[in-house]
Amino acid sequence: MANARYSDLQLDALRELANIGSGTAGTALSSLLGCPIELSVPSASALELADAVEAAGEAGDVVWGVVVPVTGHVDATALLVIPEADAATICTMLGVDPDTDTGRSALGEIGNIMVSSYVGALATMTGFELDLRPPQSTRDMRGAVVSSVLASHSGEHELALVLDSELEVAGEACTLSFMLLPTPAGVAELLHRIGLGD
Amino acid sequence: MTDLSTATATDVVVRMGELAASASAGDVLVCVGLGSCIGLALVCRRGGACGLAHIVLPESGGRTADRPAKFAEHAVPALIAALGPHGARPGCLDAILVGGAQMFSSSTGMEIGARNEEAVRAALVRAGIPVTATATAGSVGRTVRVHVATGTVTVREAGSKEVGLR
Repeated sequence: MANARYSDLQLDALRELANIGSGTAGTALSSLLGCPIELSVPSASALELADAVEAAGEAGDVVWGVVVPVTGHVDATALLVIPEADAATICTMLGVDPDTDTGRSALGEIGNIMVSSYVGALATMTGFELDLRPPQSTRDMRGAVVSSVLASHSGEHELALVLDSELEVAGEACTLSFMLLPTPAGVAELLHRIGLGD
Repeated sequence: MTDLSTATATDVVVRMGELAASASAGDVLVCVGLGSCIGLALVCRRGGACGLAHIVLPESGGRTADRPAKFAEHAVPALIAALGPHGARPGCLDAILVGGAQMFSSSTGMEIGARNEEAVRAALVRAGIPVTATATAGSVGRTVRVHVATGTVTVREAGSKEVGLR
């Protein structure tokens, strides 16, 4: 079974952490763009690599991916995925051109601000010390972006824990997908800290 | 007259860690959106059989994986073995490598792509299979398609046209 490694209770707790994290990230994005952000209920699932890529959406579609490595008590990678057209919408709202260096760094900065807020909320709740490395953004096929991040994390593990949140910019057909991919050791740390360790 | 090989073409999507071998003329083996992963195509020079593996990591470190093509060292022998029943012997196979890119700079510790290519090449040398074409490295994602009917291998980068490799 795909979820065999984590109990439902553990996944519920991780989902709740993701909920609080993405709520904070949504608030940050909202003040950045000057408009309301709608949040979906996040999902927390332990997936096989191939399933995790599939769950992220159509692999051949071109997206903007912003990656922020998280280190400290928990090692993780935060990945923000924005479909190409939606990234263009966000850049227009910010008054920059997505195909320029300025546009690229604006998207990186959005990733950075969202990840800082998300991770900051997580750190406050768990008492962890967490550091962010500089964001990197790329425009490419969704499958190439997501699979490369997963591959760098997986090592001997067959399953990846994916905390996935969808954020929608109100009034614009514009959706951002935010994923936190902790290393398996990081997940164990997180669960231990909230009293649900094995 | 209708070209049946096109009219009945079926995409067989090969996902991370999976492999597929086929001698059905209507099959097109596909890895969509390869980043640091390698799409390894093995094509029989005498026609008929083709295989494609979606390789994720270079070394297993002695571990076993649920998926036959997750690690390069397992994937090459597994793909050769899968081609056997279709009449393709190792001596008649050509290898085409696609992927192995570095999507993000090395400060994130993601230089897996280059190590993947190295490991796949080493495993191919051990199996005595020549590499006849590549579209690897760089920092772009790629989709590879292997047309079983013709043994043609094509690659496409994001926002570009499909290019023939073999």
